[in-house]
Amino acid sequence: MKKASLAILVLTLVAGLWTVAAVGETYKVASDTTWPPFEWSDAEGNLLGFDLDVMRCIGVLQGFEIDISSYDWEIIFDDVGSGRMDIGASGATIRPDREEKVDFSAPYWTSDQAILVRADSELNIITALAGGYTVGAQLETTGAGFITDLIAAGINVTLVEYTLYPLAVLDLINGNIDAVIQDEPASVASATAEEDISVAGVIKTDENFGFFVAEGDPKGLLALINDGVAQLKALGVYDNLIAAYMGTDLVKVEAAWRASIGLLDDGDVVGFASQLATLANE
Amino acid sequence: MSTIWQSLELLITRGLPMTLLLTLGLLGTGLLLGFPLAFLQVYGYRPVRWLCRGYEQLFRGVPALVLILIFHSGLSRTFDILLPAFASALLALGLRSSAYQSQIFRGAIQSVGEGQMLAARSVGMSKTQAIRHIILPQAFRLSIPPWTNEFSSVLKDTSLASAIGVLELMKQTTLIFTRIQFIHGAQWILVILMLAALIYWALTYLGNVGLSFLESRMRIPGFETKGQVER
Repeated sequence: MKKASLAILVLTLVAGLWTVAAVGETYKVASDTTWPPFEWSDAEGNLLGFDLDVMRCIGVLQGFEIDISSYDWEIIFDDVGSGRMDIGASGATIRPDREEKVDFSAPYWTSDQAILVRADSELNIITALAGGYTVGAQLETTGAGFITDLIAAGINVTLVEYTLYPLAVLDLINGNIDAVIQDEPASVASATAEEDISVAGVIKTDENFGFFVAEGDPKGLLALINDGVAQLKALGVYDNLIAAYMGTDLVKVEAAWRASIGLLDDGDVVGFASQLATLANE
Repeated sequence: MSTIWQSLELLITRGLPMTLLLTLGLLGTGLLLGFPLAFLQVYGYRPVRWLCRGYEQLFRGVPALVLILIFHSGLSRTFDILLPAFASALLALGLRSSAYQSQIFRGAIQSVGEGQMLAARSVGMSKTQAIRHIILPQAFRLSIPPWTNEFSSVLKDTSLASAIGVLELMKQTTLIFTRIQFIHGAQWILVILMLAALIYWALTYLGNVGLSFLESRMRIPGFETKGQVER
């Protein structure tokens, strides 16, 4: 029967995919690619962003390949913790409750939380958080945790959680909620794209971002990552990546990235970062 | 306008292939398991029948998303079985579809009159021969219309695989509207979702047209299924 042979074909295909997934020294990187400028997917489906390019550069310096997958934020710690994925690179704040599941690298970025409101709103950072209003945040993020702590402290604020950060912004624009709390770079990116919203203020939380691996670091990756970040800083690559991604126009960065990524494929880490920074800021 | 074309192209090149592969894989797995399950439920010995019935009840009674999460996170947490996301989705949704398909085939088998089995046995066919040459060809034709329904439903169930990070049509849709709302604004989210809806609709339509064609090709003129034997 034709249908049976088709099914067998499909099953063989699955078996094939299994073996591909099981072998190879390529490290699997998980990232919630809905969060510019740290990680997102460009108009051609290329995954780029600060975190991802730092990982790519480390891979070149330390001699390993990486394979990046788009992940849902809610399961990223579970899947890295279980060893299904090798490295998490997703703008993750180093937090004790997360350290129960995964091990973090040394901090590579310090971030603060920002509050987004509608542009015509009269709320400021204090009234938005303590005036009995509704604040949106992405599930399981430090921003959501911040509001939960406020509520626990008896402050009059309501939290609404979203699976994706952009959906919180959409609800803010539509008037279903009064404010959104999110890390500063992503908030600035949203406010730049949308004239209907603006950043009401920044809360200095001094959160440290870390890359993460399964608990106990079974593949010995943290040393490679920490040493890699140090090398990138010494080479000036790190500053160039910051200059390329932070506070620049996303469309411009995407074009710059596509024009420069060939250099990284050839192993030229320094050339890649400097060209990316130059083109993105032109 | 160019943004729409660009997004459509990305949906078709980077999302559609995985959706099609998943749909084929699910329907294939479901067919491969569903057909024997149906026969065992009708002709099997009593304990076998109970077993098949239990399997079918289990997989039809649990929401698809719960099954996906059980196969993906549950197995890894409890038994250290690490299936790739694609395999988790294929298994969870495939087993579920096999339970639904087994009911489609069971209904088809049972609507072939019992007299036909008796007649086949009376001319000296064994039970297996009767199933193979008399029941199966008729049941197969009868099962095409309800199977069309299962195809339409399974095709859209594949979107649930996006929850565990399988890069199919729905996940790609999310990635595109995320980027677009950062660049062109939030009103674009609706546009991108409509594009995804259009692709799902077109796939369902094309699949249904194909299956109706198969149905009409297989039809035997003047053939009727009637006549129940009174016991």
